[in-house]
Amino acid sequence: MVRKFYLITGGAILLLYSWVGFTGKEFGNPERQKIPADARLSPGGYRSFHTWHSGSREGK
Amino acid sequence: MIQASCPGCGSSITFKFGPSVVLVCEFCRSVVARGDRNPEDLGKVAYLVKTDSLLSIGLHGRYQDQPFELTGRVQFRHEAGGVWNEWYATFPNDRWGCLAEAQGRFYFTFQCRVADPEALESFATLTLGALIFTLSTSAPLTVAEKGIAHTISAEGEIPYRFVPGVEHHYANLSGPHDEFATLDYSEDPPLAFVGREANFAELGFPHAETSSTISQVEAQQLSCPTCGSALSLRAPDYTERVTCPSCGSLLDINQGKLKFLRVLDQKVTPMIPLGSVGRFDRHPPLTVIGFLQRSVEFDSIRYFWEEYLLHAPLMGFRWLVRKNDHWTFARPLPPGKVTTVSQEALYEKKKFKLYQGDTAQIEHILGEFYWRIEIGEMVVTTDYIAPPLMLSHEVATSAQKTEGKSNWSLGEYLTPPKVEKAFNLRNLPRPWRFAPHQPYPHAKVYEYWLQLSLIALCVGFFLFFFGAQRQVVQQTYQLEPIKAGEESVVRFSEPFTLQARQNVEITVTASLDNTWLDIVGDLISQQTDEAQGFSLTLGDYRSVERSEFFWTEGRRSSSVYLSAPEAGIYILGLDINWHNQHSQSTLFTLTVRQGVPRLWHLVLTILALSVVPLFVALRHYYFERQRWSNSIYNPYDSKD
Repeated sequence: MVRKFYLITGGAILLLYSWVGFTGKEFGNPERQKIPADARLSPGGYRSFHTWHSGSREGK
Repeated sequence: MIQASCPGCGSSITFKFGPSVVLVCEFCRSVVARGDRNPEDLGKVAYLVKTDSLLSIGLHGRYQDQPFELTGRVQFRHEAGGVWNEWYATFPNDRWGCLAEAQGRFYFTFQCRVADPEALESFATLTLGALIFTLSTSAPLTVAEKGIAHTISAEGEIPYRFVPGVEHHYANLSGPHDEFATLDYSEDPPLAFVGREANFAELGFPHAETSSTISQVEAQQLSCPTCGSALSLRAPDYTERVTCPSCGSLLDINQGKLKFLRVLDQKVTPMIPLGSVGRFDRHPPLTVIGFLQRSVEFDSIRYFWEEYLLHAPLMGFRWLVRKNDHWTFARPLPPGKVTTVSQEALYEKKKFKLYQGDTAQIEHILGEFYWRIEIGEMVVTTDYIAPPLMLSHEVATSAQKTEGKSNWSLGEYLTPPKVEKAFNLRNLPRPWRFAPHQPYPHAKVYEYWLQLSLIALCVGFFLFFFGAQRQVVQQTYQLEPIKAGEESVVRFSEPFTLQARQNVEITVTASLDNTWLDIVGDLISQQTDEAQGFSLTLGDYRSVERSEFFWTEGRRSSSVYLSAPEAGIYILGLDINWHNQHSQSTLFTLTVRQGVPRLWHLVLTILALSVVPLFVALRHYYFERQRWSNSIYNPYDSKD
C-alpha cells in the first residue's frame, strides 16, 4: 500500500518537475495584467500604471 | 577378471574389477574376499534394505569428465535409525571412488593420503564444529557429524575388506564450497575420503535408466499393529518413526516392520493436513509427511511453534515452520558452509546477526519422520538473522560437542498468502507480532526513492546541459540624479524577442557602495499589451567596526525568474529608485536570459521525493526496535 502510494506520488512529483523544466514554468509570479498603450509609451503613464497597480513603494 | 567358486555355496563368482577386494555372492549372500590362493568367506550379509535409490549396480555415469561404473554397494545403519547407501564407482585405470547417498543427497569422495596423520584428532577427542586443517582441501573442513554406523548389507564388488556387521566409527566433514570428507576410524590412523557434495545431474547418469526408477517411488501401505488401521508411508524408504492417525500410537519401523512404542497425546491439529502437496518456487512438489510441535521456556513461560516436514523424492527434506503465524521455509545446509564469529554467522558472504539461543523440546508429533523421534527430545537451537533469511543451528542436547550431528538450516520468511498459494489453502491466520527475520514490508520504498531520484537527476542533467539556455539582451543604464519633485526614473528597454516554453531570467548587476537600488518593472508584450510584473532590490553595505571587524550586507546582483511567455516581441518597463537619487547618479546592467536551468527546482523535487521515505525510515527504526525487543542480543538495549 505504502509502496503503491509512493510510486504514484513520486511519479507525480517527477512529472511535475519535468513539466516545469520543459515548459519554463515558474511559481510565485504575480498575475499578468493588461497595460494601456499610453502606459508603455510614456514614463509618466507607466509610473501612474505602477502607482495604481503596485501601490506606493519604499526604498531601503 | 578372476573367476572362482563361492566358498559358501560353490557357485561360480567373478571379480570383474581390479580394485575389488571382496564380492557378495548373489546366490548365498556370502561375502567373499579375494585371497592369494583361495577365496575367503567373511560371513553372510542380510538382504538389502529397500530404499528409493535411483542407482543400481552396473549403472554407468560420468563425473568430472571421467567415466565410471557402479560396481558395489554397502548399506549402513545410522545411529538415529536411518539407512544410507555407499556406492563404489570404478574409474579407468582401476581408480575407485565412494558415492554416498543419504536423504536424496549425493557425496562423491576419493580416498586420499593424510599428510600428517598424527595431527588428526582421535575419534574420542574430536568435537562437533571443530576445524580440520590436515586434509588437502582449499579451506579447512568443519566436523559436521560424528557417530557409529553398522554395516547391514552389501552387494556387488567392494574395494576394501568389508566384514558384515562391523561397527564403523566415522566423522563427516563439510567445507565452505560443497567440500565433503569422511574420516573412517576403523583403521589407525583413520582413512580419509575427500570430495564434494554433488547433485544428481553432475553424476552423468543416463536419464532413461534412472527416470524409470523415479516412477517407482510411491507410498507404502501398512497396518497399525495396535488398532489395525491402514497406515500410509509417504517416504517409506526414509521413515524411522510414524504415528498412527487413528489410535495415536507412535510406531518404530524396522525394515518395513512396525513396532508399537507408546500412545501419544494427539491434541494438536496441524494447520496444513498431512499428505498435502505444496508447490514452492524453484522446488518440485513437496508432500507434508510429518508435523511436530516444539516449545521453549523463557521466564517460566512456554512458547510453542510448529514444524512441518516436507519431502520430495529427488530432493530430500525441507521444513516449513509456523511461529506466531509467521512462516519460514527452511532447507538443510552443509555445516562447513557456515562460519560463526562472535555474534555473527557468515554464509555465502552474507552476514547474519545472532538473535536467540535456547533449548527446544518436542511436545507433539504426527506423521512420519526420518529419525527416531521422541516426545521430549531436546535440541540446543541458535538463530542468526539477516531478514528475510534466518540461519538456524541445532544440536541434540544429548550429543553436544561429543558426538551426533550439527545441523544448519537456512530459512526464508514466507507470508501467510504465499503459504496459502503453495498449498491452495484459505484463511490462514495473520501474524500480529514481529518475527525475528520478517523483512520490513516497506523497504522497497528506499529502492523506489533511489530510482526516482536518479530519474530526477537525469532530467536535471538534461535541462542543465542540453537545455536552450541563451542570453536575449544585455543593457547598461547610466542614470543621472533626478529632479526635485520626481519620485523615480522610468526607463524602457529596447524590444527583444522571446521564445515560448522557456522561462525568463532578469538579472540586475550594479557596482554599489553603501547604497541601494530598487527596480519595479514589467515584462510587456508588444503584441498583447500584457505585463508580467516583477521587482528587484540591490544593496551593498560594508564597514569596519573598532578597526577590527569587517562586515558586509546585501548584494550587488539580483535575479528574478518569470514563467515562459508566449513567443513574441517584448520590452521591459523599469521604474527605478536609488539611494540619494536627487543628488547621485547610478549605473546598472540589466541582462535577460531564457531557458535558464533551475537548481532549486531539482533540490525541491528531491526533497519532495524524500518525504515519504523519511517517514518510512522512522517506521523502519521502530520496526527494528520491536524485532530486537525479543532478543537477548538486542543492540538497542542501553543496558548492554
